[in-house]
Amino acid sequence: MKKSTLIVMAVVVVLFLLSWVLKASALQPEQGSYILRGFLVTFAAFLTLAVMSFLYQDNPFYKFAEHLFVGVSAAFWMCMGFWTTIVQNLIPRLSTSLADYFMVPQRPEGLNLFFYTPVILGILLLMRLSPRGGWISRWPLAFIVGTTAGLNFIRYLRSDFIKQISSTFVPLLGTQWEGIGPFLSNLDLSASGQLVLLLSNWVVFLGVFTGLIYFFFSKEHKGAFGVGSRVGIWILMITFGASFGYTVMGRISLLVGRITFLFGTWLELI
Amino acid sequence: MKRQIPVVLVGLFGLFMIFQYFVPHESSEWIYEFLLDWTIIIGIFAMALGLWSLYRVSVEKIRTRKPAWGYNYLTLVGLFTMMLFGFTSQNGEAWGWFFPFMVAANLTLVMIIQASVTKGHRGLFLGTAGVCLAVCIVIIIFDDTWGFHFETAEGLQSTMFRAFFDNILIPIFATMFSLLAFFIASAAYRAFRARNVMATLLLLAALIVMLRFNPYFGPLSPYMSKASNWLMNVPNLAAQRAIIIGVGLGIVATALKVILGIERGYMGKG
Amino acid sequence: MKLKLFVVSLVVLLSFSIAFAQEDTLTVPPIPPDSALLPAAVTGLVAKDTDNDHGHAITLKWQPSADDGAGRQSVAMYEVFRWVPDLMTRIPALRDTLEYLKLRTGDGWSPPEPGSRTDSIHNVFASLDDAQLEERKESLEQTISQAIRDLPAAHAAYPEDGDWQQVAVAPAGSATAADVGTKEKDTPDYLPDYSDFYYRVDAVTADPAIRTASEIVGPVQSYGQWFNKGRLAVSVFVLIFGLLTIFFVQHARRGADLYVRPMAGIEAVDDAIGRATEMGRPILYVLGLGTADMIATIASFTILGRVARRVAEYQTKLIVPAYEPVVMAVAQEVVKTAYYDAGRPDDYDEDIVFFVTSLQFAYVAAVNGLMLRELPATNVYMGKFFAESLLLAETGAVAGSIQIAGTDEIAQIPFFIVACDYTLIGEELYAASAYLGREPILLGSLKAQDWAKAGVIALAVAGLALSNLAVAYDWSWASSIVDFFRVVD
Repeated sequence: MKKSTLIVMAVVVVLFLLSWVLKASALQPEQGSYILRGFLVTFAAFLTLAVMSFLYQDNPFYKFAEHLFVGVSAAFWMCMGFWTTIVQNLIPRLSTSLADYFMVPQRPEGLNLFFYTPVILGILLLMRLSPRGGWISRWPLAFIVGTTAGLNFIRYLRSDFIKQISSTFVPLLGTQWEGIGPFLSNLDLSASGQLVLLLSNWVVFLGVFTGLIYFFFSKEHKGAFGVGSRVGIWILMITFGASFGYTVMGRISLLVGRITFLFGTWLELI
Repeated sequence: MKRQIPVVLVGLFGLFMIFQYFVPHESSEWIYEFLLDWTIIIGIFAMALGLWSLYRVSVEKIRTRKPAWGYNYLTLVGLFTMMLFGFTSQNGEAWGWFFPFMVAANLTLVMIIQASVTKGHRGLFLGTAGVCLAVCIVIIIFDDTWGFHFETAEGLQSTMFRAFFDNILIPIFATMFSLLAFFIASAAYRAFRARNVMATLLLLAALIVMLRFNPYFGPLSPYMSKASNWLMNVPNLAAQRAIIIGVGLGIVATALKVILGIERGYMGKG
Repeated sequence: MKLKLFVVSLVVLLSFSIAFAQEDTLTVPPIPPDSALLPAAVTGLVAKDTDNDHGHAITLKWQPSADDGAGRQSVAMYEVFRWVPDLMTRIPALRDTLEYLKLRTGDGWSPPEPGSRTDSIHNVFASLDDAQLEERKESLEQTISQAIRDLPAAHAAYPEDGDWQQVAVAPAGSATAADVGTKEKDTPDYLPDYSDFYYRVDAVTADPAIRTASEIVGPVQSYGQWFNKGRLAVSVFVLIFGLLTIFFVQHARRGADLYVRPMAGIEAVDDAIGRATEMGRPILYVLGLGTADMIATIASFTILGRVARRVAEYQTKLIVPAYEPVVMAVAQEVVKTAYYDAGRPDDYDEDIVFFVTSLQFAYVAAVNGLMLRELPATNVYMGKFFAESLLLAETGAVAGSIQIAGTDEIAQIPFFIVACDYTLIGEELYAASAYLGREPILLGSLKAQDWAKAGVIALAVAGLALSNLAVAYDWSWASSIVDFFRVVD
């Protein structure tokens, strides 16, 4: 290990201990395990800074936070999964005595052979771990893939496809002619003047049209088709830019939240 | 056989899921709900596969001395500790021998890892693991200030599980998320340097939307906000619709290919 | 460093320019009409099983009262009543008792507060011992399930042993209402199918005591249908699209030459694998945060299969960190088969695909770490991505890897476009597997997709013309065609 690394480590350890002591003594008037809580707040601040240090480069502190995060989060996910899926979903259907032990309401209708099938499929899935029975684990996977492929087939055909077609049916010719004056009034992008509305409707229609042309795979993008496709990708790019810009603000407010933690909860400066 | 049965299963369940959408009858609903439950239950068994994979890959990194291998101990200890926290809780205010127990339990784990990565001292490590395990068992038997809870989700409310959640998971999670603010800025800078029509369009749109609240443009400001609103409402709508229709078709086509057995890539056969 | 400083200061500056505004709106309730006279009754009441459903619901239609919006204008609302046998009314009380007995015989029971509802039940059973309680519990369970079975018979006994109960309310001006129950037998809203129901509708004035009942209609039964007519449009599309796909696949099988336009992102995959081989560095394949039940993930599996096969042929190293265990299992299967197909089963290692964790940013933290430590020559991101897309892609860009991304998540495409070398946009992700394989069958289905798109454009243009003309010339038949596409959920 380099000397500079050692010095940085030592400084971090000293700062950590200092923060722990200060934090714990600040918490002392309140009852409860203040030493533990002082440690936890300091540790949270340390982890926050450790992750942020990744912006500079990969370093031991980031590695520490990363590996701890992976382990703890996997355990968290498993514990939550144990109660939300095993205890809530599986147990009530398997046996009355198990349901009584876990104190979950049993489902009288569910207590039948039907519910042993997924358990058997689950056990087949575990056969992956054996070097020779691995092939049978494809059955449960096939079941999951098949069921959800059918489900998604319908879901997307309905929501993404048919509904989107029907919502493209917008007035392009204007509803009522009230003379040239009202038609040209309110020439402003945010206004609801007739001309502006009509233009917007045309942009939507042409946007969908050219966008779909861009997604044509089996036809060469040449000539008029090529022009359509190019306009399509331009409109796509404008949209992506707008959506990019839209997200920036939201992300910055997240950063504000973290800065508030560091300077408020930990250092109590703001 | 090994490859045909999964394909048949996929087709069978896929077709059923398509048909059930058109059949509102109760019996169709009933099977539909059963099948959805099945996928959840099979997922439960997959959790075991996931944990096993995490454990094995971590141990493997330690054994082969991959870069940053030492941190894998931290991953496994974090995993094990958080899991123990999830299934234990205090009976009162006192901690008793809880923390010594955690240390002994983790030592057991580390010794088992050592035993599986060592070249010569397997017996020594296994012996130490046995001793640590014995200490754990003794503490479990004689210490009644805390206990294991498998039957209720009490562990999820326990002090240490919550403390780890609040002071390790949340800070790292929030900080990782807040790093996006920096990344989005450097990504924008990258886009700024790319000089082609697409990138320029994207960046222009992004700038207009990003600066919509900015008061520093004087008389231009209201136009910026109007232009950004128009971008979000009109071209954005068109492009989104084109993408959604395309994606919907892609999903529907892929699902159909999967169900009909044309596409078998997910089973490793293209 | 200057760039970093610039970026950091820019971000901090921006963070101070956020403004929020909120508006509250108030709604004023309408003033009810004031009348002390009885309103006219509704006429022409019809009760029918609700169509296109699983049963357990009845739809009622009527002609509004003469005093609703006209005449004395005294009707404030309509109340729908159903004749309910006493047996049905008793079931909730029986359930409360059963619930009490279950708690009482379980662990951790404590006596209820004096004066509460549970307390009155408790007083009845207070003196019983555990065995007796258990016995009561079992007999009560049987009583309840028998009562549920007897509900159709009890309804058939109309008008003996029953009473009218309000089941729905409709505001003045309405001419229809639905009495929707559930199929769950153990809920209070359970409505048994194939039972004789009787209904009446009251026209109610602002003073609830002043009301006029309609004639009673019945018996009417609810039952489930075998085809949902509201979904006819969808079934037409399913059929057309299915036939198109099968037709083009057959066409392709017979050896038709199908043109496919070039796509930079996909052609880059081969080059990228070659580059990784030359550099002796691994290829990182990220399947995204999708679960195995998402089609984007399934499309990604197919691409992974192609990539893995090429990787096996070139004997390069592949790293596939998985976010979800089922995804991991499928991906292992995919990669394993690819290695076998490439004729290199010995090079396959079960740890090529491994599970990391199922928490979004923990997964990102780990993959970012991998990128900086393993220094992959190429990163491929295919599948479902959410907020983490930019964290991954930027880290990869900083690490100097060639990056190819593809997702159908619209909000994340911009980030990939900015930070990656090649991005497959939306549908291109689904087309990619057909491209990489170059198998005629898969290309055939691509052709079907294009035809469907052409159909969409044609339909949109026709629908647009129709809906515009329908407005302009008041054509009702045109709007009924347009309505065909309005799918019932």
